[in-house]
Amino acid sequence: MTKKIFVFITGICLLISPSMTLASFDEGAKEVFEVMKHLDMQGHADDDFSTCSIQQLYYKEIEEMLNDGMTKDEIVQSYVDEYGQAALREPGKDGNGLIAWGMPVIAFLFGVIIVSFGMKKLTNKQSTIKTDSLNEHPSISETEAEILKETFDEERRKHF
Amino acid sequence: MYVLGNVALYLGIGLSIYALIANIIGIKKQDQRWLESARGGVLSIAFVASIAAFLLLYLLATSQFQYKYVYAYTNEQLPLIYKLSAFWAGNAGSLLLWAFILSIYTAMVVGVKKRYTGMTPYVSSLLLLNIIFFFVVIVLNANPFEMTATIPADGNGLNPQLQSPGMVLHPVTLYMGYVGLAVPFSYAIAALIMKKMDSDWIKLTRRWTLVAWLFLTLGNMLGGWWAYLELGWGGYWAWDPVENASFLPWLTVSAFLHSVMIQERKGMLRIWNLSLVILSYLLTLFGTFLVRSGVLTSVHAFGEADLGNYFLVFMAFMMLFSIYVVASRYQLIRKESNPIESYFSKESSFLLNNLILIAGTFIVFWGTMYPLISEFVTGTKVNVGPPYFNKVMAPVFLGLILLMAVCAVIPWHKAVLDRFFRNLTIPFLTAVAFAAVLVVLGVKGIYAIVGLSAAVFMFATHILEFARGVKARRKATKENIFTALVKLTYKNRRRYGGYIVHLGIAIVAIGVVASNAYPEEVMKTINKGEQLSIGNYQLTFEGLTESESRGNGIVHGNMSVTYKDKDIGKIAPEKIFYATWPEPSTEIAIKSNWREDLYVVLNSWESEDKATFLVKVNPFINWIWFGGFMMVVGTAIALIGGKVNVLRTQTPSSTRI
Repeated sequence: MTKKIFVFITGICLLISPSMTLASFDEGAKEVFEVMKHLDMQGHADDDFSTCSIQQLYYKEIEEMLNDGMTKDEIVQSYVDEYGQAALREPGKDGNGLIAWGMPVIAFLFGVIIVSFGMKKLTNKQSTIKTDSLNEHPSISETEAEILKETFDEERRKHF
Repeated sequence: MYVLGNVALYLGIGLSIYALIANIIGIKKQDQRWLESARGGVLSIAFVASIAAFLLLYLLATSQFQYKYVYAYTNEQLPLIYKLSAFWAGNAGSLLLWAFILSIYTAMVVGVKKRYTGMTPYVSSLLLLNIIFFFVVIVLNANPFEMTATIPADGNGLNPQLQSPGMVLHPVTLYMGYVGLAVPFSYAIAALIMKKMDSDWIKLTRRWTLVAWLFLTLGNMLGGWWAYLELGWGGYWAWDPVENASFLPWLTVSAFLHSVMIQERKGMLRIWNLSLVILSYLLTLFGTFLVRSGVLTSVHAFGEADLGNYFLVFMAFMMLFSIYVVASRYQLIRKESNPIESYFSKESSFLLNNLILIAGTFIVFWGTMYPLISEFVTGTKVNVGPPYFNKVMAPVFLGLILLMAVCAVIPWHKAVLDRFFRNLTIPFLTAVAFAAVLVVLGVKGIYAIVGLSAAVFMFATHILEFARGVKARRKATKENIFTALVKLTYKNRRRYGGYIVHLGIAIVAIGVVASNAYPEEVMKTINKGEQLSIGNYQLTFEGLTESESRGNGIVHGNMSVTYKDKDIGKIAPEKIFYATWPEPSTEIAIKSNWREDLYVVLNSWESEDKATFLVKVNPFINWIWFGGFMMVVGTAIALIGGKVNVLRTQTPSSTRI
């Protein structure tokens, strides 16, 4: 019985192994490009892949690392370990990089506060709202009211 | 020719200084003769700048390689159109182009007599300061009429990447936008100097600002289109520092074009509008500084450190001067204005729009400068590339699109909530239905679906606004739909031109979101006769062939293409080996339709029967170009006609400082 199980498992492994080989990463693998998109590649990230030897070198390295079983994050991290934050196309999410990410949020919040104060200062709810009779009509929109008004004026000018 | 070119440049400096001095004396003494003389000086500057510009064009077209500039950027084989385009391929020529456009704009400001007001001498003086700066920089540091020691037999030639229709159009349009912003800036500062705190300067500069915005839009769109076709430039928008530099004034002018309406209606936001105009102008100088200094790595950089310093000094001077003028007039600017009646009104929505646009400006500026800041403060280099900008700008763009969607149905003064919701019901339901259809069809990516639905929401709101307008017109005039639509747009060019711009932005947004979220990409080595599949396309490799054109060797990767098993023709990406350029260039091949682009690159080959191709399917790319075209058309409609309603009450002689 044990022998049969052993033969069965061996058979299964033999069946699976070709498909495992097929699953390895080769040229054109989407995953390789996905990793490359995060990397600055020593300033060559936007170069033409077909003529840039640096990009091609990175491509081969990443392909090998993927075939060695490394995940995308691990590969990216390996480059950060080697070259520091300069390896990436975006600032890290810690240390100095936090300032790069945090500043837009702080600036936006600061802007919101200023605009809120500004609006409060500029808004006077007690002021008289000048609306014409057409605009006050509940069934027509502002656009319709304006267009009707303009058309009436136009017709009036034409005829009188 | 050498003498003529240099005389034109030196005359440019001399005449500019003379016209500036004549203006100052004329203003001080209130003497019409001096002012007229200055006006003549300005027109003469336009004339000498034109001579210099046409002379350089002539030298380029006739391949006069004894001139360093002609030698550096052209050769005999170059087609005439690219010989002429080499005008702006280098520092010297592009600065001359800048000076030429600026002098023409200045002549347009002072040239039309009926528009000559008391403000004009001040405006022309400020523009003259700019002209002097450019002519001086050209003469001292970037003279296009410098000669070589010996006459070379042939020139270096133009970088192959610049031999594209994009080179003919993109730099010129962008420069016309950049330089155009000097005019509203000069009007704003002139108004401040004259202590004229009303909105006259705004009415006088509305067209100038719109023209500048139109050219900036066109320039950026053409740049995007060119970069999309050119490998190695990171696609249609790579958040390159120089691309960002041209985007920054576009954002601030967009904010200005909205906030200025509040000043026109309510007399509010005077300081804010002044600041936006000043900021926009300073950002154009900042952009030029980035291009010329080479402080940041960019595909656009000319990288001449000295020139960067000139611009840095000039920018600092103009900034300090503007701050001084604004600060010294601050109490006068802060006049009484009509208040906003409600938080829920078009006025408030425009304030929000300004907040988002300026936040976007800050983010782009911050991201662009962060590598420098980081290196300066911590000594560590940090890259800020597309992944950063895409992440931080996505919420900004989404916010803008949603605001544009609702803003169209919010009236001035005060909105009524009931009516607001009623007007938004159909667009909102359309957007929700659209999102539901995408989900049912199996489209993945929640952010992309939200982005696309927001764009549809905005599109629907504006289409409905047109529909309401047409309906109202037809009710009153019984016109047919087409006539009503045309007349509606014509009678309200500013409003409906703006709506067309918004519709264009919605279309661009769909293109940008879809092309970023759903691209497909395959790279494969195939033998002759083998197939490569991507999406619904199948490409069969038919072998490599060689040809020759203008001394350059070209390798074609011939492929036949089927779409859903239907033959749609041939495609042949190329590699070109130049006789006069060390690097070969890769020319992509595209099969395009309204839905997507099949984008094929010949990567490399082992033999004529075995080659490696990079193939992409980029969805909805053409929507970006079409949307950009609509934005330009909308702006042009907003520009057509409309009288400048500024009373010519202040003649030069009645003006006091």
